[in-house]
Amino acid sequence: MSVDSPHAPLPAPVRPPVIAPGHSASTVTERISNIVFGRMPRWFWLAFGVAFMLVLGLLASIGKLLFVGIGVWGVTQPIGWGFDIINFVWWIGIGHAGTLISAILLLLRQEWRTSINRFAEAMTLFAVACAAMYPLLHTGRPWLAVYWLFPYPNSMNIWPNFRSPLIWDVFAVSTYATVSLLFWFVGLIPDLATMRDRARNRAQKLIYGVLSLGWRGSAIHWHNYESAYLLLAGLSTPLVLSVHTIVSFDFAVGQVPGWHATIFPPYFVAGAVFAGFAMVLTLAIPLRRLFHLEDFITMRHLQNMGKVTLVTGLIVFYGYLVEIFTAWYSGNLYEMFMMRNRVLGPYAWSWWLLILCNGLVPQLLWLRRVRSSELALWGIAMFVNVGMWLERFVIVVTSLHRDFLPASWGFYKPTVFDWATFVGTIGLFLALIFLFIRFLPMISIFEMRTLVPEAKIKESQG
Amino acid sequence: MDRTPLPSLDPAAWSAPPAVHRWRGIALAVGLVAAAACLAGWLLDRDQMLRSWLVAWLLWLGVALGSLSLAMIHHLTGGAWGLVIRRQLEAATRTLPLLALLCLPLLAGLPAIFVWARPEAVAHDHALHHKAAYLNVPFFIGRTVAAFAIFGLLAFLLGRWSRQQDEGGGAASGARMRAASGLGLVLMVLVGTFVSVDWLMSLDPYWYSSLYGVLFLAGHALSALVLAIVVTWLLAGHAPMSTAVTKKHFHDYGKLLLAFVMFWTYLAISQYIIQWQANLPEEAVWFQHRTHGGWQWVALAIVLFHFLFPFLLLLSRSLKQRMPALAGVAMLLLVMRWVDLHWQAAPTFSPDRLALHWLDLAAAVAVGGLWLAWFFHQLAKRPLLPVNDPHIEEALGHG
Repeated sequence: MSVDSPHAPLPAPVRPPVIAPGHSASTVTERISNIVFGRMPRWFWLAFGVAFMLVLGLLASIGKLLFVGIGVWGVTQPIGWGFDIINFVWWIGIGHAGTLISAILLLLRQEWRTSINRFAEAMTLFAVACAAMYPLLHTGRPWLAVYWLFPYPNSMNIWPNFRSPLIWDVFAVSTYATVSLLFWFVGLIPDLATMRDRARNRAQKLIYGVLSLGWRGSAIHWHNYESAYLLLAGLSTPLVLSVHTIVSFDFAVGQVPGWHATIFPPYFVAGAVFAGFAMVLTLAIPLRRLFHLEDFITMRHLQNMGKVTLVTGLIVFYGYLVEIFTAWYSGNLYEMFMMRNRVLGPYAWSWWLLILCNGLVPQLLWLRRVRSSELALWGIAMFVNVGMWLERFVIVVTSLHRDFLPASWGFYKPTVFDWATFVGTIGLFLALIFLFIRFLPMISIFEMRTLVPEAKIKESQG
Repeated sequence: MDRTPLPSLDPAAWSAPPAVHRWRGIALAVGLVAAAACLAGWLLDRDQMLRSWLVAWLLWLGVALGSLSLAMIHHLTGGAWGLVIRRQLEAATRTLPLLALLCLPLLAGLPAIFVWARPEAVAHDHALHHKAAYLNVPFFIGRTVAAFAIFGLLAFLLGRWSRQQDEGGGAASGARMRAASGLGLVLMVLVGTFVSVDWLMSLDPYWYSSLYGVLFLAGHALSALVLAIVVTWLLAGHAPMSTAVTKKHFHDYGKLLLAFVMFWTYLAISQYIIQWQANLPEEAVWFQHRTHGGWQWVALAIVLFHFLFPFLLLLSRSLKQRMPALAGVAMLLLVMRWVDLHWQAAPTFSPDRLALHWLDLAAAVAVGGLWLAWFFHQLAKRPLLPVNDPHIEEALGHG
């Protein structure tokens, strides 16, 4: 190129690398696949054991629920949607970061997504599994749920209400789960083949071999693979918006003050991404230390996730503020009462804690120093995890406990089975994450190989 | 890989071609003729003239504010797309003084536009009485002045640092622009929300929607991108920009345009579904007025031409890479931005019958002509590319 002026531009600022220096294709492959083929440390089994105990608690409380009925939960009039909806929305929100990282950041050509996409996608799947459990259990008899939820021509000529967003939810969530699973699995295929080739015994070879669907890594394979992957990314992108939008419709199309707000769709979507990134940070920060993956999940990844958390947190905070203004501006008696009750009523503690967790604490992320500290990031992520749960608590419980008719006001008391189910799904989520780490490469090996310096040189020669 | 030599990075090589001055002249002439018609309209039917002026002013205010938002988003996120249109965006943000000037007739005639500004209406209305703490003339003017001050300051600072970068200011101005953009976007969203409530939502002071501010700002971003695409296409026909703009840039703008069209539609349809299905009297009536008495055809036109056609066209890769075709879609969207604003504002004054006054068109052309003349004047003042930006080579080597 020719620079024929005294105003030579400054050299473009060098961004910190997304992979630590000194790695080659083979070190990347070894480092990641050895986690699966090696022995797991003692803490891993201890932690898995704890998670598994929680799963047993979950199974016990589900058993009780199916045997007795949903009366074992605290849901009753006027709060008919208690923990089950709060937790459903909380879990499904957490899943969104996986899709955002894997699909949208891929389309935006953000190469820093590469080392975190695999386990963020796994997180999506497990979170969706936890979420889907709640509405099904809420039916009391999940084995009849097909009959209630899916429109099929039955002899009684009864159809679900197509105008209800609850039925849209069935389609949105099941589509989301299907596409996320496909996306995750397709992303795994080349790595499964690597695992097959490196397998140390016949069983491993067989299992990874079957799962890798005959992948040989030929140029034609790669060619088809790339377009399939991009197409799936394109399909997943609208799903990030659609799922949580429809979840927000569950509330917003109704008339209950505190639920009926047009800001809900974008604010729910932002909240979902916010919660999801907080969960990725919660998991990634300890994992990279425990498995010595600092070279692959670098500080740059954590900083970028901190920035996304800040932006989505600001959108959510904006939602809280706009709701206050709109409640007053509406001049509607019930809207104004709802807001006063939310801020000053018996459940005011939950709203103020929510503002602290989701509104104020994430503002620390404006500071570069905070974004560069693992401990601070992890702490903020924990605040957000709690805050996003509180947000759904505020929406569900505070809005319902005092609606239009004072005669029907009441309070909500979750029972021990509510708590056991909630904590149990956390256990299930963690147990699944542990199994995933144990049996599959948690970082995409083949995509990491494209980031090592030798790949860049080949690219520029080619 | 064969590489075409990169264009020169000397600021002097990037001064505006004579065509920009010609466009300025044409815009000014058209704008002045239309403004004269508006002046006649002012004498004939002052109320109608103000109402038409409001929609026209909001359209071009949206272009300016959207340009400020896009410029700030680009400072924060980087990317090749933004450097090539940065000067267009910056010139658009420097039109804020003109827009403040064009706002004066509206401020002088608030009671002709807003029912809450008529004391006799407020006195007999409980709801308006409640809202009078917010919706009153002095506070409204104060908010508008504050909004212009905040946006103006942001535009001024970002413009100044950008010029310092041209003069060799380098890294320091880049860091300043990034820092100011972070805070600036927060301000844009907060202040922009109140601008939307004040200037558009409060036309029907009984109706409310908490999504409205976001929808308003999304429309701005769309308008701004549309203008940037059209102007980049115009500039690409002349040296020096003909050497810098490539198909690849336009492909990126096409993708962004598609994303913005989808985002705007997503917000608009969400608002509609929520209010339609809840069917509350104070909300649904707003849509009732806008989907009956002829207005339903306007609503249909918005669905077709603000969403469906642009959406389908923009899916095509070859269309996105053809500059005239993409500019054509962009111009269609600019017209539809006006139709959308008209559909939101005009039924307030004519709820039962579709209304289109000749002043509606005259005002849109008048404000547009004057705005574009000012814009081209500003555009010619600086090099057409931020040649000292550290990422400029990356952006130009993009082809």
